[in-house]
Amino acid sequence: MNGELRPGEAADALAEIQKRQQQVIDRATVPAWYWWVVGVLMVVLAVGVDTRTHLAIGITAPVFVVGMLFATGAAVRSQIFGARVRDGLLDGRGVISILAFVALIVGCTLGIAFALRAAGASYPATIACGVGGLGMGLGGPVLNRMLRRIMLGNRAGVTR
Amino acid sequence: MTHARFDDLIHAPTRLSIVSLLAASQWADFQFIRDSVGLSDSALSKQLATLEQAGYVEIGRGFVGKRPRTSARLTPAGRVAFEQHVAALQEMVAKSGSTILPRQ
Repeated sequence: MNGELRPGEAADALAEIQKRQQQVIDRATVPAWYWWVVGVLMVVLAVGVDTRTHLAIGITAPVFVVGMLFATGAAVRSQIFGARVRDGLLDGRGVISILAFVALIVGCTLGIAFALRAAGASYPATIACGVGGLGMGLGGPVLNRMLRRIMLGNRAGVTR
Repeated sequence: MTHARFDDLIHAPTRLSIVSLLAASQWADFQFIRDSVGLSDSALSKQLATLEQAGYVEIGRGFVGKRPRTSARLTPAGRVAFEQHVAALQEMVAKSGSTILPRQ
């Protein structure tokens, strides 16, 4: 059969392969709303920490935990009920990108919080988590795009 | 370097789509494949059975909670055959003068 296949048909087949692989990769990417939800939940928890009352902590800590569980469950649902992306697609660069992103957000949030507390500002954790949450919401989709690019580069048929 | 080998079994239009989905997956749910490729349950079952007989696909049956779930994954032989098929397609395109590129 391949003797009868024209180059245009081969190119169409390669395009179909790319489209289908992208479908799996796009499904594996964490949705953009997830980062904003995590950012907001960080602020909620920080309000409880700054208020320093048992009641505030008793309300905000469970909201944070339950919110994180629901948001993470919803975000990874497609991986549980759809298709799990192949292990080899996300290589060391992907893992380093994720770790660097987390380290940057945590480092900046803690740095700002300690600096504000030292300066005597009120609600230092809330302000710092507000900044960290904003970074999460804006930077999360950038991380998504980076991870998507890495996975697309590692799929079958890409010359390396 | 992957050896190029055109595979007639994989190249059939719906099977190419199914194998491409599975190539990017560790495993994929029957329902996900069916909805992605736009096949009926029976048509997908038939295509998966053909791929399973060729030793390219493994079918798994289990439960998530109380819900029965069927999933499929490429076998190592299926992955090799797919990569060789992709290499053969790329070779055909390259030999034509590298002027034909897959759609983005």
